[in-house]
Amino acid sequence: MLAALLFVLLVSSGAFALIRLAPGDATSELFLARGDPAALAEARSRLGLDQPFLMHFGQFLTGLATFDFGQSAVFGRPVGDLVRERAAATARLAALALVLAAALGLPAGVLSASRPGFAALVAPVSLALVACPPIVAVLGLLLVAVQTGWLSTAPGSYAVPTLALALPVAAMLERLQAQATSEALASPDLVAAAARGVPRARLVWVHAARQSLRPVLGVAGAVVGSLFSGSLAVELVTSWPGLGRLLLDAVTGRDLFLVAGCALVGAMLIALGNLAADVVRAVVDPRVRDVP
Amino acid sequence: MRSQRVTTILIGLAAAAGLVYWLQSVRSGEGGRVPEGVTRGGTLVATFRTEPQSFNRYVSARVADQLFSLLTQATLVRTNRATGVLEPRLAREWSASPDGLTWTILLREDVTFSDGTPFTSADVVFSFQALYDERVKSPIASSIQVGGQPLVLRAHDSHTVEVTFPASYGPGLALLENVPILPAHKLKASLDAGTFRQAWPVTTPPAQLAGLGPFVLREFVPGQRLVYERNPRFWRTDDQGRPLPYLDAIELQIVPEQNAEVLRLETGAVDLITDQVRPEDLAALQALQAQGTVTLNEAGVATNPEMLWLNLDPASVSAQARSWLQRLELRQAISHAVDRRRIVDTVYLGTAEPAYGPMTPGHGDWYLPDLPRTGYDPARAKSLLESIGLVDRTGDGKLDDDRGQTARLTLLTTKGHTIRERTCAIIQEQLAAVGLVLDVVPMETTALIAQLMGGRYEAAFFSIVFDSFDPGGHLDFWMSNGAFHLWHPSQATPATDWEAEIDALMLKQSTSLDSAERRRLFGDVQRLFAAHLPVIYFAAPRVVVATSGRVGGAMPSVLAPTVLWNAEMLWLVPAPAGAAGK
Repeated sequence: MLAALLFVLLVSSGAFALIRLAPGDATSELFLARGDPAALAEARSRLGLDQPFLMHFGQFLTGLATFDFGQSAVFGRPVGDLVRERAAATARLAALALVLAAALGLPAGVLSASRPGFAALVAPVSLALVACPPIVAVLGLLLVAVQTGWLSTAPGSYAVPTLALALPVAAMLERLQAQATSEALASPDLVAAAARGVPRARLVWVHAARQSLRPVLGVAGAVVGSLFSGSLAVELVTSWPGLGRLLLDAVTGRDLFLVAGCALVGAMLIALGNLAADVVRAVVDPRVRDVP
Repeated sequence: MRSQRVTTILIGLAAAAGLVYWLQSVRSGEGGRVPEGVTRGGTLVATFRTEPQSFNRYVSARVADQLFSLLTQATLVRTNRATGVLEPRLAREWSASPDGLTWTILLREDVTFSDGTPFTSADVVFSFQALYDERVKSPIASSIQVGGQPLVLRAHDSHTVEVTFPASYGPGLALLENVPILPAHKLKASLDAGTFRQAWPVTTPPAQLAGLGPFVLREFVPGQRLVYERNPRFWRTDDQGRPLPYLDAIELQIVPEQNAEVLRLETGAVDLITDQVRPEDLAALQALQAQGTVTLNEAGVATNPEMLWLNLDPASVSAQARSWLQRLELRQAISHAVDRRRIVDTVYLGTAEPAYGPMTPGHGDWYLPDLPRTGYDPARAKSLLESIGLVDRTGDGKLDDDRGQTARLTLLTTKGHTIRERTCAIIQEQLAAVGLVLDVVPMETTALIAQLMGGRYEAAFFSIVFDSFDPGGHLDFWMSNGAFHLWHPSQATPATDWEAEIDALMLKQSTSLDSAERRRLFGDVQRLFAAHLPVIYFAAPRVVVATSGRVGGAMPSVLAPTVLWNAEMLWLVPAPAGAAGK
């Protein structure tokens, strides 16, 4: 728990520091609108950008301690409200995508391990999906959706963004599950069970599947991370009002407090995702629970 | 007899009731008669890249806030972007004193805000009071001043306002077109309390807003959309007395990604996209135009062509190290070395005009077509470079300065901006042909702006938006003490004679009330500019605006927003059953 808190704090502070030290600041948009020097100076003063870095950073840390995440320079609203709204939207999307990815990828992986014919069909598709950059995948899906009308592209619709996030993750899970299940099927205990006459289906879907979940859940953190990193492209193209898009707006607008807030919430969600994966792993594999 | 009388009275009452109902329905827009071809009703679906930061235009200069203000608020006057003529809006008519300093404005009567509160001169006076209030620190206040001094407003009666300019001002009342009139009854309390800056944040419930514009905000879903519906109390009618706007509603979907925007337009999911059509999208949209699903309108030549300029501040680091960077001959050589037609054909795919100065045909009468031009002449470019001591001393095909160092300069531009990156690639290639090495450095916009604001660059390729046709509105670019005098901003005194001359001419033209004299003086400014080339232009795109085939009444403009600037005049052809849109 302490490690998770430290992780979240470090990520958030690091994001603040990086943006503060990067060239440019939140007054750039005012410059583009031909704001006069007095207006630019006033904006810099109001946003605290004329203060030394350490003083500004100190204010940020003080705010963190009191759960005051500051005001967004880009959106003119409290950062807390903004990240709450957008994080909820991203979390909903990510959760749905994760469920869909697991529902597609895990059984497909087990089937790939137990049926070579199925693997020959699925493996190239999975490899292509894993290799495909998220923005290409989502643009392709959007094109299919608008051309065919099979999927809704209305603002707020879950169809395209969920599929765009879920398919690459499902492909990754399929590959991992297939490998882990193959190894489990070749393990001495399952070979012995087969020799004792345990039905093939039970061997595959009960014993091997359960045994192989442990290595798959071991990469749960990476899966959750990939959901959040992939969500940026998906949110941008599908106009999903999520954390990824908010973070992009914050970074390009050099919105210090918003960047830090997004990084903090993003780190929290990843930490929580890892925690959930650990809990599931403990439920699935009693050996983990017995480890002192 | 008695029953006949009763019947007559009843018929009369019924007729009167019918007349009252008809009159009310015409006012409210329900069942009103419209001319042939124009259909009242429907929801226009448009896309926009960003969302507003505030519903209070006075505290934010963002484009999204400007659009919100355009749709829900009204100004005293407006420049018709299609004709360039100043039109009355909330101001019914006006007259000027002989010295042109004092204007008496008669306001429209029987006008109410969207919440039913009557509009009076008090709202006008209040709006300017808020604009200039020190506590508000409005980013648009400085642009509504003359010579650094605010206008003075006084109400004579409930519908007469007197505006006094601190000095003679050529563009005249056009200065007021960027000041939306706000409701005093809603915002005066916050101004008095010193909390005006915090008034009308985007979390304000739409029912608490009030305006004089054609639409009212019905719904704002952050990150997703804004929905505007017809303001039933909008004061304007069309030239045949019919109430405006024609549309029931406008839905503005927030779509940050440009490819997704175009895709939605192509498939009929939206009626209008934010920006002009990109050259690479034109072919596909032309094919759809042939099918009737998309309409393409050419609005004219853009008024903000991409610009290449060198840092001409003599105190800059680059000037200290390489004095030839400041020479006029270098700028002339660059202009001669680049084939503008190649940029037009390769970068803009033919949808642009060669440009030689900041004014384009899109500026209307302000543009001088007979200005001297630097044609494509690589031999002349080499000769100019040689005249400032840049020759190939080592035989490697690259020019060297008198210290034997390769003549190279760094050009900053925006990363990810296709037009700029492609244009810079052509410029780099064509300068290499004359021996000049150009290092193109694409940068993120915010980082680039930081470099420009700090003067830490040798050359830049960028564009600044000018939101009016009249050069009197861009003194910050033309004047040597201007913050947007890009090549050497905010000079205490003009660094060169020609800049001093331009300063004098611009001051004269911005204070003259004679439009012919103003054009003559500005012609002299343009000739000086062309002679000294502080900024080099290559191409100005033709602005093509795309709408779905069901949009009517569009008057596209080269200034943004290209179509929604006149949203009250837009109408929709009823969609066939099963088609997208509402």
